[in-house]
Amino acid sequence: MLEKYKKQILRFYRRNRRMPNYAEVMTLLGFKSKNAVFKLVNKLKEENFLSKDAKGRLIPKNLYGELRVLGQVEAGFPSPAEEELADTMSLDDFLIKNKEATYMLKVSGESMKDAGILPGDMVLVDRSLTPLDGNIVIAEVDNQWTIKYLRKDKQGVYLEPANKKFSNIYPKEELKIAAVVKAVIRKY
Amino acid sequence: MPLNLHTFPQAVLHVDGDCFFASCEVASRPELKGKPVITGLERGIVSSLTYEAKARGVRRAMSLREVKKICPDAVFLPSDYETYSLYSLRMFSIVRRFTPDVEEYSIDECFADLSGLQRPLNMSYEQMAEKIKASLDSELGFTFSVGLAPTKVLAKIGSKWKKPSGLTIIPGTDIHLYLNQLGVDKVWGIGPQTTAYLNKYGIRTALQFAEKDLEWIRANLTKPHQEIWQELRGEMVYKIDPGKKNTYQSISKTKTFTPPSNDREYVFSQLSKNVENSCIKLRRYQLAAKKVFFFLKTQDFRYQGYEFKLIRPTDNPIEIIKMIDKYFSSVFTVGSLFRATGLVLMDLSENTSRQADLFNEVVTAEKIAKIFGSVDGIAQRYGKHTLFLGSSFSAMNRAQHEGNRQTPAERKEDLFKGESARKRLAIPYLGGVG
Repeated sequence: MLEKYKKQILRFYRRNRRMPNYAEVMTLLGFKSKNAVFKLVNKLKEENFLSKDAKGRLIPKNLYGELRVLGQVEAGFPSPAEEELADTMSLDDFLIKNKEATYMLKVSGESMKDAGILPGDMVLVDRSLTPLDGNIVIAEVDNQWTIKYLRKDKQGVYLEPANKKFSNIYPKEELKIAAVVKAVIRKY
Repeated sequence: MPLNLHTFPQAVLHVDGDCFFASCEVASRPELKGKPVITGLERGIVSSLTYEAKARGVRRAMSLREVKKICPDAVFLPSDYETYSLYSLRMFSIVRRFTPDVEEYSIDECFADLSGLQRPLNMSYEQMAEKIKASLDSELGFTFSVGLAPTKVLAKIGSKWKKPSGLTIIPGTDIHLYLNQLGVDKVWGIGPQTTAYLNKYGIRTALQFAEKDLEWIRANLTKPHQEIWQELRGEMVYKIDPGKKNTYQSISKTKTFTPPSNDREYVFSQLSKNVENSCIKLRRYQLAAKKVFFFLKTQDFRYQGYEFKLIRPTDNPIEIIKMIDKYFSSVFTVGSLFRATGLVLMDLSENTSRQADLFNEVVTAEKIAKIFGSVDGIAQRYGKHTLFLGSSFSAMNRAQHEGNRQTPAERKEDLFKGESARKRLAIPYLGGVG
């Protein structure tokens, strides 16, 4: 029924190049009261078929239906906006998984040089992750942060630098790992 | 006898960061662990302090000089509100993983309503509280104190019960066991006046208060205190307000500067800067002020102020500064030294369309509103105070403080390539790593 009403309003619009007023809709669709028209208008408004101006007069909106429907081509290709980009992510999403647990540090030494981590680099770390063997981690050694590989062998866990000039760190007591390194950023 | 027969008719959580500001600092600098750390250097008084500092007798609002006497090895740091705010937002987000009903009570505190979530989360209320605390502690890198109870007032008692890093669960059936050990003056919302009044009737513990009957409470206390009485009995009165804080009764800005000055133009520019800052806040919350109070604080801590009304509500600093200029001479006394300026904006209303007036000032005002829209836009892009009024020039172009009080926060100094003094990445910085 609604579709039939829409068609009739559309025909009126084509013929007269304007939208009908309430009385005209009444006669056009054979309604008995303006209240019925009012209800229909609200429904059509919800469907984005038409709209009302500041004085309540009807104005056209999507009389010809939604134009930009995914997968449907009408009069050329739709602009490559939202749908095509739905499967993309921002650099933030790419680098950061758990926003609340992500922190940044600035690298100061050369101990991870061979892993491609250089002085001045920014590292993004996650405090919520459990550190695994082989992860690059931020550990707390002698009340300082240090960035190293976390390694495990029969004797236990230790920290390994990526630079021959530095030696492994074997913890005397418990090894405190603060975070796991997730990304290195260098801006030129 | 229990005050309430149900364990959790409602489940309210209160989360409180342990010495929040100081903890944010220690979390990013392991070398500070175990040391008496104090923030508030720029103000010259203790703003937040670690438990190590507390143990040495340092208290909040103590002056730098006093602290040096009793705790010479204290580490005094400038406040870094930007970093504290980042941690604060994270605290709220972590609690929101469990429930959308989170009330951001202050920068380091929030309430959350967990009622009815046992089944969807497949956890008991106790487990939720534990899990929230564990996530906060591990992801933010310092500890939080948490209270779980049937009402806000009781949840707050819970989070205070054991500090730091406490988790106190007060089911309705156990309320009396806690209130029995709590002075009535320790209850949230009961001040010294009410305490003295209740003492006259022999009420000393919170339990004695909660056990009074309804008739007595109605006859002797005002509505806010009747509500606290209900809350203490495990009957929820105060709802969790999950809306972002977007209404203000008044907006105030006070800023100290050193050295103190008797230069009229400089003191005025400090005030002007405060006006600009207040108006930025007004515009952010789409408010307009009708009444203004401004004051100057002298070197010997006396206040001199003046209050005036505006013709119409405004968020335009130029209008306010023009008026202040008129009355400034009555407040500024030549020869005295001033150390701070302050401003309170009152009678705030929603900033909607303005009423037309006889002299067509509305049109001008609208043009100016457009200008400040752009000023805010530029600030968003390039940092606060990229554009400012000429009347604020002297204040903007001089460091706010002399000597070590002007030491900026580490974060503002140690920048990454691409960051500037005015714009930094919104991720907490843990410092250098070797």
